[in-house]
Amino acid sequence: MSGGSQYVVAAYAVIWFLVLAYVVVLGARTARVGRQVEAITRMLDRREGPEGDDAAGGTD
Amino acid sequence: MPGERAALIWGVVATILVVVSTIGVFLVAPEDADQGVIQRIFYFHVAIAIASLVAFAVACVAGILYLRTRDARWDDVGEASIRIGLLFSVLVVITGSIWAKASWGTWWVWTDPRLVTYLIVVLIYAAYFVLRSSAEDDRRMRYSAIYAIAGFASVPLSFYSVRVAESFVHPVVFTSSGANMPGSMLIWFVVSQAAMIALFIALLEVDLVGRRSERALRRLALRLENA
Amino acid sequence: MSRRRQLAALVRKDLRLELRTRETIVAMVLFAIVMMAILQFGFGTRDDDLTRFVGGLMWVTLAFTAVLGVGRSYVAEREQRVLDGLLVSPVPRVVMLGAKAIAIFLYMTAVEVIVIPLVGVFFVQGPYWDAIGWIAIAALLANACIALSGTLFSGLALFTRARDLILPVLFLPALVPVVIAAAGATHAVAGGPHDMSEWRGYCLFLLAYAILFSLVSVATYDAVFDD
Repeated sequence: MSGGSQYVVAAYAVIWFLVLAYVVVLGARTARVGRQVEAITRMLDRREGPEGDDAAGGTD
Repeated sequence: MPGERAALIWGVVATILVVVSTIGVFLVAPEDADQGVIQRIFYFHVAIAIASLVAFAVACVAGILYLRTRDARWDDVGEASIRIGLLFSVLVVITGSIWAKASWGTWWVWTDPRLVTYLIVVLIYAAYFVLRSSAEDDRRMRYSAIYAIAGFASVPLSFYSVRVAESFVHPVVFTSSGANMPGSMLIWFVVSQAAMIALFIALLEVDLVGRRSERALRRLALRLENA
Repeated sequence: MSRRRQLAALVRKDLRLELRTRETIVAMVLFAIVMMAILQFGFGTRDDDLTRFVGGLMWVTLAFTAVLGVGRSYVAEREQRVLDGLLVSPVPRVVMLGAKAIAIFLYMTAVEVIVIPLVGVFFVQGPYWDAIGWIAIAALLANACIALSGTLFSGLALFTRARDLILPVLFLPALVPVVIAAAGATHAVAGGPHDMSEWRGYCLFLLAYAILFSLVSVATYDAVFDD
């Protein structure tokens, strides 16, 4: 690469690298929300578990 | 779900504009007579700088609206905007530094107003997060809103002070923007500017959708604890 | 009580407290002198002619001194629980803001009355008192800027955790334009023949800064002490 085009490529790459990193951070937060929703769902399952099983058994 | 739809639409718009502007900037726009290929940094360097100012302006308006309504959603908008604006200003400093290296041979030039101004802007808005982390709840939102307004007031002051000083010390300021830009370059600059602003809006919308789900989750957890 | 009398009473309270203990201003003056000496030692051995730098060093020192003084400005109220009384009293917030800004303005002026003539000996070329007079006008404008932004930021930092650390982080980036302009105005008149158009430009900038920050402060100060 001549005439300093490596600098142009580097500048462009830095922009997209950091924007991508930011999107990854946002994604990590979404993943955390998802994990917590799962945890709450499991907790609810346990809490309502026995009754839920009975009902399921009744219809069978 | 208007928020999700907005995030999706802006994401698509931003992607299209980014692809078009990348093609335009690297393949279509003419080579600059003086600076050659290095001048192509200009398109996204300046576009991202202006987009960061848009982000800080949005945060300032959100701060005013928060103080008016005390609605936590405006605090979300303010923080998300400043976070993206800070990311963009860091990128302005980095790409500006690369540009300085390419055209002057050094990574940092204290006499270049753009680099110095954006360094100050980064410092101003980095302090926003320090302030946020040291107060809670209602007070945190209130202080953040006030600081977003005061910070946005200091931005033009920093710009102007650095440029006033420069105009006295170095009458000739290196510039490739402004009236001397031919139309074939200007159009691609406008496209990259639109791309960067669309990118800001898309990131903001995605961030807000995430915050909304986080808040809904917290409400749910609270309700389950009380049940 | 009319607003003017409330304002006068609050300013008198601050000054009387200071005159009784003399802890803030004496410490500020000492700090400024020590800091100048340290900066001189840090820079001075390499270059015989420091006159080009001393004005800048002086304003850097005064900026740090301002942070110190502004940080102290609410401590008495906080420690003696005066603030609680003030906040429930029917004094408008704008009057509190004005009184505090006037107190900080007077502290800074008191420090500069000692520091500027003293330091001026080291860098003023040409007629001494003539230059000091022009510097003093710029200094008064700079003090107004420091007082207005300092009042706002110290109010924000007051109830945060680690407020001694928060205040410089919030306040110093906002002071950068003031330091640039005040140092510029100082250099414009200190180096022998005065460059009055340059001096006037910097002073107008300081005036604009003070006006902008007074607007921001008046608009947001109600929200600073909302609880």
